Amino acid sequence: MNTIVASATNVVSARGLTKRYGKSVAVDNISFEIPTGRIIGLIGPNGSGKTTTLKAMLGLIPFEGELKVLGLDPRTQRDELMAQVSFIADVAVLPRWIRVCEAIDFVAGVHPKFDRIKAERYLTKTKLKPAMKVKEMSKGMIVQLHLALVMAIDAKLLVLDEPTLGLDILYRKQFYQNLLEDYFDEQKTIIVTTHQIEEIEHILSDLMFIRDGKITLSATMDEIGERFIEVMVPAEHADAARALKPLDERQVFGKSVMLFDCANNEVTREQIDALGETRSPGIADLFVATMKGTYA
Amino acid sequence: MITPASTMKWLIKRELWEHKGGFFWAPIVVGAILTLFVILSLAAVVLGTSGAAQINGVPIEAFAAGMTDSDKLVFVSTITRWYMGASTPLFLLLGFVVFFFCLNALFDERKDRSILFWKSLPVTDDATVISKALLAMVVAPAITLVIAIVTSMLVLLLICVAMTIKGVSLSGYILTSPATYLAPLQWVALLPIYALWALPTAGWLLMVGAWARTKPFLWAVGVPLLAGVLVSWLDKLFQFGWDLRWFWKNIVGRGLLSVVPGSWFNAGAMAIKNRDFGDHNEAEMLSQSWQLLGTANLWLGVIVGAAMIYAAIRIRRWKDDG
Repeated sequence: MNTIVASATNVVSARGLTKRYGKSVAVDNISFEIPTGRIIGLIGPNGSGKTTTLKAMLGLIPFEGELKVLGLDPRTQRDELMAQVSFIADVAVLPRWIRVCEAIDFVAGVHPKFDRIKAERYLTKTKLKPAMKVKEMSKGMIVQLHLALVMAIDAKLLVLDEPTLGLDILYRKQFYQNLLEDYFDEQKTIIVTTHQIEEIEHILSDLMFIRDGKITLSATMDEIGERFIEVMVPAEHADAARALKPLDERQVFGKSVMLFDCANNEVTREQIDALGETRSPGIADLFVATMKGTYA
Repeated sequence: MITPASTMKWLIKRELWEHKGGFFWAPIVVGAILTLFVILSLAAVVLGTSGAAQINGVPIEAFAAGMTDSDKLVFVSTITRWYMGASTPLFLLLGFVVFFFCLNALFDERKDRSILFWKSLPVTDDATVISKALLAMVVAPAITLVIAIVTSMLVLLLICVAMTIKGVSLSGYILTSPATYLAPLQWVALLPIYALWALPTAGWLLMVGAWARTKPFLWAVGVPLLAGVLVSWLDKLFQFGWDLRWFWKNIVGRGLLSVVPGSWFNAGAMAIKNRDFGDHNEAEMLSQSWQLLGTANLWLGVIVGAAMIYAAIRIRRWKDDG
């Protein structure tokens, strides 16, 4: 994903995407490409511009710069775009009055790519009953219903903005598991934002860190595994290790755990291997290290 | 196959699911209460519990016995012409329901954020807003009309039964009079007039609902009222000699009250002004209403209303509530 190749296989391509709210810049001149068949985690602190970027892709807000989603401009071609893109913008946005059966009837009535059988099959695995109203459901059940509707839509791009916020761990795990097993294939692309990074780390193929409206890191998970190394440094090597300018350092059981970025050519793998026991860092640690000072 | 027409059908169905209380159950309940009221009143007359029923101080039996043929004819023609009026409360209710539906239609979906769900489906903003306007101006009045016709017919039938019990033999005339069956059709023929006449108010309310961040009612009602007060005050201050009555009636009143069925009878452009309908036949009411089609008042309202509905569509397309 680092190599920017404008090709027909890109689901999303942005060039100089900017969104201002009055004087403040929510998204600051960003460019990126998202190829087909990926699951991209868009990760950033609160107010970093994640949701704004997604809203721009979905044609919900005006913006400056160039942005194509499935080759369409979301500003002027939103109506065509929505036949191929689906999204869960927020938890619990289903109207409170609607019944399960009404929601299915309606989506089946207006969406050319909705597979009613698939939605119903998925719902039989839950406690939801056709006559149930959204206002009678728990937050977790509402998300199950929304997921049942969205998974039954054969969309090329699925955008999920904090889809599991406020759900317990059982619902969250089940949500991503279903998505992976019953929905995702190489023709589809999923973009997801969440604060529960640890939970989606293993399903992501790509990662994009966003901070203050700028993309600070954009790489595939494989690239990240190669590029970032965490090393457990014994006290005697600590000063030598610090001279190599780690991204981050923390203390665990009297040892220093240091995070290195091998991309800047100031440090090589061999040097790091010599310092102590190494491993690939978790995305959460990487996130915390790269976002230091965000709220300071 | 999904076509624009089938999508529109589903959009209207969806509105009816959400608002069946206001558009369906409320008129049925009011119609039932009306019928019950009539049953109780007639029962009191038939049983004589409310004292001897009298018409102009003459006991009803004696009055009926004393009727000449031409009296009977006048009586029958009056009742067959105006029995639909028994459902007037239903039409007032319709005005209320349509007013608040239009005001909240594009506001509530933003308040509970369900707009994000609706916008995730391949349904255009045009189709969505138009479905709401169609519901308010065509579907809802049609439902009310059906319930009103059933209610009025029931009331008429009850009156016939009561009269027969009391020995007044006019039921045959009433039930065989063509006017009895023509009256509902004449009310049906008012539907297009209602839709066109209500457009500026419906458009205004939809637009305010799409735009207001909070308190749409305050904006929707407050802005026209304040404008009226401001204009009146300026006129008084500088002695402009403006036609204030015109402003209140054609801007403020037209903007807020046009969803009330029959509000057009009060419009200055009409030939009939608050006449006693008892002296006129319903055909006149119908033709007077249809004559509205020849007035600038109606068509300016249609243009302004359509423009505001277009504005509501654009606002819904781009409004970012964060």
